[in-house]
Amino acid sequence: MSSEISKKQPRPDFIRVEDFSFHYGEKQAIFDIDMAIPENEITALIGPSGCGKSTLLRNMNRMNDLIDGVRHEGDIRLDGVSLYDPSVEVISLRKRVGMVFQKYNPFAKSIYENVVFSLRVAGRNGKKELDETVERSLRDAALWDEVKDRLHDSAFGLSGGQQQRLCIARAIANRPEILLMDEPCAALDPLATLKIEELITTLKNRYTIVIVTHNMEQATRCSDRTAFLYMGKLIEYGKTVQVFENPKEEQTESYITGRFS
Amino acid sequence: MPPEPANNPDPRRFEVSKATLWFDRFMGWAIRFGGIGVIIAVFGIFWFIGKEVIPLFKPGAVVKAASVTSGTTPVILGVDEWGEMPFFYSGGNKVVFVDGETGARSEREVPGLEGQEITASSYDPLQRRIALGLEDGRVGSFIVGYERLFENGEPKGVKPFITAEPWFELKNAGGPVTAISYGDAGPTRIMAVKTAEGKVEVIRLGLKGGLVGGKKLSVTAEVDITPQISGEVALIRASQNGQMVLVADKVGKVSYFLADTQGVTKRQEFTPFGGQGLAQMDFLFGGVSAILTAEDGTQEQWSLFRKTEDAERLFGMTKDFPDVGDGRVTFAKSQRNRTFLTGAGRGLSIRHSTSGVVRWEGTVDIDPAAAILDAKGESFWIASETGEARKFEIKDHHPDAGVQAFFGKVWYEGGAGPVYQWQSTGGSDDFEAKLSLVPLIFGSLKGTAYALLFAIPVALLAAVFSAAFLPADVKRIVKPTMEIMSSLPSVVLGFLAGLWLAPILADRVPSVMMLVILIPFSALLVGYVWCRMPLAFRNRFEGGNEWMIVIPFLALAAWIGWSVGPLVEKMFFVYVEPGTGKRIADFSLWWPQATGTSFQQRNSLVLGFIMGFAVIPVIFTIAEDALSNVPKNLTAAASALGANRWQVVWTVMLPVASSGIFSALMIGFGRAVGETMIMVMATGNTPITEWNLFSGMRTLSANLAVELPEAPDGSTHYRTLFLGAIVLFAMTFVLNTIAEILRQRLREKNKLV
Ligand SMILES: Nc1ncnc2c1ncn2[C@@H]1O[C@H](COP(=O)(O)OP(=O)(O)OP(=O)(O)O)[C@@H](O)[C@H]1O
Ligand SMILES: [Mg+2]
Repeated sequence: MSSEISKKQPRPDFIRVEDFSFHYGEKQAIFDIDMAIPENEITALIGPSGCGKSTLLRNMNRMNDLIDGVRHEGDIRLDGVSLYDPSVEVISLRKRVGMVFQKYNPFAKSIYENVVFSLRVAGRNGKKELDETVERSLRDAALWDEVKDRLHDSAFGLSGGQQQRLCIARAIANRPEILLMDEPCAALDPLATLKIEELITTLKNRYTIVIVTHNMEQATRCSDRTAFLYMGKLIEYGKTVQVFENPKEEQTESYITGRFS
Repeated sequence: MPPEPANNPDPRRFEVSKATLWFDRFMGWAIRFGGIGVIIAVFGIFWFIGKEVIPLFKPGAVVKAASVTSGTTPVILGVDEWGEMPFFYSGGNKVVFVDGETGARSEREVPGLEGQEITASSYDPLQRRIALGLEDGRVGSFIVGYERLFENGEPKGVKPFITAEPWFELKNAGGPVTAISYGDAGPTRIMAVKTAEGKVEVIRLGLKGGLVGGKKLSVTAEVDITPQISGEVALIRASQNGQMVLVADKVGKVSYFLADTQGVTKRQEFTPFGGQGLAQMDFLFGGVSAILTAEDGTQEQWSLFRKTEDAERLFGMTKDFPDVGDGRVTFAKSQRNRTFLTGAGRGLSIRHSTSGVVRWEGTVDIDPAAAILDAKGESFWIASETGEARKFEIKDHHPDAGVQAFFGKVWYEGGAGPVYQWQSTGGSDDFEAKLSLVPLIFGSLKGTAYALLFAIPVALLAAVFSAAFLPADVKRIVKPTMEIMSSLPSVVLGFLAGLWLAPILADRVPSVMMLVILIPFSALLVGYVWCRMPLAFRNRFEGGNEWMIVIPFLALAAWIGWSVGPLVEKMFFVYVEPGTGKRIADFSLWWPQATGTSFQQRNSLVLGFIMGFAVIPVIFTIAEDALSNVPKNLTAAASALGANRWQVVWTVMLPVASSGIFSALMIGFGRAVGETMIMVMATGNTPITEWNLFSGMRTLSANLAVELPEAPDGSTHYRTLFLGAIVLFAMTFVLNTIAEILRQRLREKNKLV
């Protein structure tokens, strides 16, 4: 896989968002965003509710295509290739770019089947491979010890935090290059949140992670870079340390200090 | 700045307004009332249908109603049609009438005897005719009539009278007549006679005569059949249709003679009880069957039927009744249906020949020497040799009903074996109703099966396509259109099916076959080619709009299929005319020849297609809703994991929507089973039991619609139709219950927390 080679020299503009605008029908949700996301780093997207964080994230694996009446301008390039290039197969794009959703959403299947879903749809059904994948993914998602005895029970028997970690395990089962995470801790208690943050930091070496969060501490704790979005516009983007300690824009400062109206 | 909130706020702010409370209470009661009303209405319907159906399964009952004495030993017992005044005829020159209520006795002279002794007599209750044979060899008859008397406009009592009929001399035989039987079918009549010399003759009577003075009944043929009978004659019977004579000898051999314009020919000789003599032999109402009882009490029914298509109509045993027992055998047939009263000694029973069941069984307090059922079948009289007589009222309104009649195989008169058959009404009075519900149940199942066979795949595939593939703007048009389709009046669909589609399809069956092959095949082919197209080309079409490419190919395939149909017909479906060897390319002729089953214009193919219009929208709409309501975050999760659209459908949408889809199927099933108008108009309504695609059917619902208007209120037919309704309900109920259980299981399995 390309990620193995790229490990040596991370590409600085692995994902390039170029003059990107996005419309839900009449409503424009993203205005002319321009940013480069480096490989093997964690990039946090922050901003007030409704500012377009999820929209931007969902465009990175073209999940927004599933919504009717959407339209975009500009481009997003992954490793130099436009996502909208006619030669791009959306299915394989989504295999490269995994996603963890804002609300955990396991399937009505067993834990095991949830994890191997991406392999099964790819037609890989070898028992050995599946078993290995399940163990690796669940270990990576720090869930293995909790569920190893009940892999074939329904995923709904897990707690909310466990279900979210299961979704992460599911997303990394097929080893995507990029992992998009939309408020992965929104529904979790502090302990589970901590576990997931640890997990994100350990995943960092192997994946390029874009994470949306409302939690400023979380952004500071685990991200390398932070982008602040406001009303569909990219207000500020830079190293996390810089954005939080020395914001260039006044809006950013008021937002992160909580003086936002 | 807004004013500071007051420190003593309005205490009423926690109160609920009166209007809200009233409304709440009112709605509470309205809902309760509505709910209970619905339950009452449902039970009311059950009560009504139950009330109509339950009498069908009641056994017959008999109660003693009168007891009189006549003072004569009756050879013949008869009664008026209201069962009020029996007459007793002892074989002499007087007929004794006794009022059943008062016991008052009166007598009438037998007309035209000219002083001769009566040596033979028999009675035909249908015509109320007593046939006589005299000492001098003359034969003749007279009719016992009753006139209804009225008092203050109310019927009160009857007045008997006697009508004389002509006498005839026998040409071939002289001497006393020792047995006689008279069969009357109006213009043609027959008499079978035995004389003291041992001669047996068949006399045909007809209306002959000049223009003046009208027509006169006279002998048209007199045939001596003695040479064709070997043994000593014990019983002779002429049938009510004036065409048949049965002669039984002392050792139980029965000869069957057919008398028509050709003469009198012996058709058959049979020995029902293997050498045992007959205690009784009589034709039943309708004259096609005879009940025979052996001396040991064994009782059988023998009917005329053809063993094979082109065989002669001969007698064969069709039913075996329970033994009547020991003693003198009594027999009296009904004059309106196939019931008869029989028994031995004091043990009597009422039996019904169609289903072969005993309707009532009991003992009486006198030894019956003669018995008679009244014309309406509401009472019977029996009389003993001492002249005692009893009247019994029969409470048996539906003698031809019963579990065996409705659900079992029944050997009907004229049939070559027991069958399931529905034919509730016929042309003549003596029609034997065939009330098996099995062909109707079969018809309902067949109609539903063919309708669903076509509708389910189309509807489900359409629902999946619409829910998972079709872009929203197209879906916004498709879905309401389908919903409107489901409100198409079924009478319009039925009309189209029966009068427009059926004739077209009847001519183009091979074309339809080609369509069935070519359309799915071309769709698959286009799909295959599409997958092989370069990605850049495919990506030019927005996801879900690929159907635009498929449509022209499907249209082309349809056109090709339709056009090559006649060619295929010429190649494969050539009918060879049996006589001439002429070859005709015609599927509707070829099919019956090749398969031995029928080809009807209004067949299951037409039905399945048209029922699609009724059933597809129902299934589609509900299944589509179920699929569309699968949470978006699940489908999105699957897509994000790299599942293609079909995999999203297969792995996520279908399992989650399965219980909803199951409901859709059940509602579609309910619609198909209960559908009436289309079934009436498009199926030909023949109650057959074969799965043949090219024949029709008659469903329970269509049967109800077609026959209920003409069924007399309270009749067996009427109640049987309601029984059909219950069966229909029970079928749907059972299937729905099973389906509901399965659906719950599915839902449990794919439950989303
Ligand atoms: N499917 C949609 N159709 C129409 N408008 C949408 C849709 N999804 C989002 N929007 C709109 O686009 C804007 C951006 O939404 P988005 O979900 O990206 O916000 P967000 O930053 O993720 O907010 P939150 O932090 O609350 O999740 C909002 O104004 C929202 O109302
Ligand atoms: Mg969001």
